[in-house]
Amino acid sequence: MTVEYVDAGEAIDQGMLSGKTGTAPAVVSGVTYERILEASARPENWITYYGAYNGQRYSPLDQINTENVKRIGPAWMFQAGTSGMIAGASTYAFEAAPIVVDGVMYLSGWDGWLWALDARTGQEFWRYKHAVPYDVSLCCGNVNRGVAVAKGKVFMVTGNAHLLALDATNGKKVWDRTYGDVRAGESATVAPLVVKNMVIVGSSGGEFGVRGHLDAFDVDSGEHVWRCYTVPKPGEPGSETWPSDGEAWARGGANCWVTGTFDPDTNLLYVGTGNPAPDFDGAVREGDNLFTDSIIAVDVDAGQIRWHYQCTPHDVWDYDSIGECILFESAGRKLLGHFDKNGYFFVVDRTNGQLVQITPFVDRIDWGAITRDGQVTPRRYPDKEGDPVHFWPGPAGAKEWTHAAYSPKTELFYVPVQDVGATATRRRREFKESIPYWGAGVQVDAEDMTGSISAFDASGEERWRWRNEVPMCASVLATGGDLVFAGEPTGEFNALDARTGELLWQFQCGSGHHSNPTTYMVEGRQYIAVPVGWGGWTEGFLPGMLGAGHGSALIVFALPE
Amino acid sequence: MTTAQERSDLLNKIGLDAQNKAALGAVLGTGRIGQATERADGRMTATIRIQPDEIAWDPSILVMPHGGDLELELLNDDLNTHCALLPSNGDRKFIWLVNHSRGRATLNLDGPGYYWFSSPTGNDEGRGLTGAIVVLGDVPPEARLDRPDQPRP
Repeated sequence: MTVEYVDAGEAIDQGMLSGKTGTAPAVVSGVTYERILEASARPENWITYYGAYNGQRYSPLDQINTENVKRIGPAWMFQAGTSGMIAGASTYAFEAAPIVVDGVMYLSGWDGWLWALDARTGQEFWRYKHAVPYDVSLCCGNVNRGVAVAKGKVFMVTGNAHLLALDATNGKKVWDRTYGDVRAGESATVAPLVVKNMVIVGSSGGEFGVRGHLDAFDVDSGEHVWRCYTVPKPGEPGSETWPSDGEAWARGGANCWVTGTFDPDTNLLYVGTGNPAPDFDGAVREGDNLFTDSIIAVDVDAGQIRWHYQCTPHDVWDYDSIGECILFESAGRKLLGHFDKNGYFFVVDRTNGQLVQITPFVDRIDWGAITRDGQVTPRRYPDKEGDPVHFWPGPAGAKEWTHAAYSPKTELFYVPVQDVGATATRRRREFKESIPYWGAGVQVDAEDMTGSISAFDASGEERWRWRNEVPMCASVLATGGDLVFAGEPTGEFNALDARTGELLWQFQCGSGHHSNPTTYMVEGRQYIAVPVGWGGWTEGFLPGMLGAGHGSALIVFALPE
Repeated sequence: MTTAQERSDLLNKIGLDAQNKAALGAVLGTGRIGQATERADGRMTATIRIQPDEIAWDPSILVMPHGGDLELELLNDDLNTHCALLPSNGDRKFIWLVNHSRGRATLNLDGPGYYWFSSPTGNDEGRGLTGAIVVLGDVPPEARLDRPDQPRP
C-alpha cells in the first residue's frame, strides 16, 4: 500500500525563525552625496566607512570624555555566531566598521551576512545572507570590512566578488553586479564608498596573481561607470616598470582591498594599492612594478590615475600600501598621511603627490631603509632560492590594514603598531590561475614581538607611546572627548588619553579585536560600537595567538542612563 | 594503496559510505552524485531524498549547470525526522521534514563554486546529512580581467 507523503510545504527564509522585526525606519532615503560631504558636521551618525571622506576616524562627540570614561559600560550586545560549513571556517571574524544613520546600524559580518539593527537597543530589524561558495579563494580569511549607504540603499560586497545594493528598509536586493572573477582567484572584502552618484569598490586576490582594479557603479541603476586597473597594460603609463616580455603585468597584483578617501576640492580619490605578485619572488617581475604598493590619486569622474607615490618599489616583502590615506591640513597645505606596512609614516601633498616627510613608526625595520627624501635601499630580502631570510616588519606589516586615526583637535595621529618579524624562503613556482602565487615559503615569528598605540604629529615626531606585550591589530578611534579607543588581541578594549597615552579605562570583551570601532549618538546618548572577534589573517599578523578563541559579538558601550 | 578507479568499491568494502560500519556515520562526500535538469526558461529542477536509515542526502552532491534559480523537491523517506538548511541568496532556506514527508525549496545561487547544505538538528550534519550543491560555469564576461588567457591547474 502506498502511503501519501506528509506535505512539508515550501522552505522559508531562516531569518523568519529569529527575533527580527523585518523592517527598519527609512533613514537612508535622505542620505545623499551632499550629506556625506557634511558627515563631520553631524557626528550623531557614522555615515561612511571612516566616518567621513577624510579618513580620520575621528568623531567630535565628547559626551564620553577623559573625565567620565571610567564609568562607561555595555549598553547592549549583538551576537552573530556561525553555523554550518562556511568558507574559511577557521578564519571568520568581524572586520567591519558599523555604520549608523539616525538610530539605525548597518553591520556586515563574514560569509555574506549583513544586519540592520536598532542602534539604541540592538534589536535586529532585518538580515541579508549571500550564499558564498565554500571553495572561493580567500587569502586572509572570511571577512568583510563593512557597508556604504546612500539614497535608500545599503551597498555590500561579497566573498565571491559581487556588489549588492539592498533596500535599506528591508534588506531586499535592488541590484547585483559581479565585478570579479572567482575562477581567477579574485574575491572582495572592501567596504564600498559612495562618491557623487557612484559606489566605488576594489578587488581582492593579490596572493593569487590577479590584476588589481577599482570599479565604479551607478548608485541608482547599478550600471558600470568605470574600471581603473592598478597595473598598466604594455604601452600604458607605468608599463615601463614591468618586464617588457612575458605577462608578469597580467598577474601583477596591486589590489585595492581597503576603502579609499576623497577630497571634493581636488576631485581625487586616494587609494592604497596592494602587493605585487608573486609576493616574494621579484626576479620574475624586474622593475618597480607600478602601481603596486602605492598611494594612487584617481580622478573620481574619469577613473584614471592622476598621480602616484610608491612606498615600496619592487616589493619582495608583501608590503601592501593599502593602509588608509588620512586627509588633513597643516600650515595651509592639503596633506595626506599614510602609515605603510613597510614601517614608515609618509606625509605627501595630496594635490600632487610630492613627499613632505617620511619617518619610521616602528622600532625594528631591517628589510631596507628609506631616507628623508624618499630614497629606498633594500637590505634583506629573499633573492636566493631556498635561502631563508629573516626581516622586520613581517608581511603583515608594522601596521596591517587596520586603521590609524587623526584628531584635528590634538593634531596627532594614533597608529596601532605591530612589531613582529618573519622569515621568507624563496621557492619559485609556475603561475597557474587561482592557485596561490607567493613564490616563497613564509613563517611569521611567534615569539619576540611587541606592539603599541603610538601618537605622532604631522612632522613625524613621536609624542607618546602606549606599549603592549603583543602587536596591536585593530583600528583606532579618536573622539572629541580627547579619547583614543583601541582593542587588544587579548580582548581588552582600552580608552587612552589622547594627549598623554594614559590608560583611563579597560573592558575585557572575551575575544581579540581585529575590526573598526565607531561612535554615534541616539536620543542624546553617545555610544561606542565595537565589533569583537579574533580571526582573519592571524597567522600573518600574530601567529603567537593563532590558538586564541574566536568570537563574534558586537559590544556597544555608553555612560549609565 | 588504492587508485581512483577503485574508489567506489573501496568505499563500500571499508564501509565509509554507510552508517556505523567504518566510522560512526557516513563520511561526507561519499554518497551519490546527481545533476539538476534545466528547463527551457533556464530554471533548474532536482530532487533530493533521504533514504531509510542512510542518514545521508541522495544525491549528496547535486550539480547545477550554471548559476540561477533551482526548484528543489525534498523527500524524507526515512523513519526519523530531519530538516534542511539550504544556501540561497537573500537568506538560507529552512524546512522541517518529518518522517515520510515531501517539501519544496526555491534557491538562487550565482556561482560558480560549491555550497554546503545540511540537516541542522542533533548531529545529522556529522552523521552524513551534509551535502553539496555545485554550480558550474564562469562569471559574466564583463567581470573578467582584461588580460590574456592564463594557464590553469
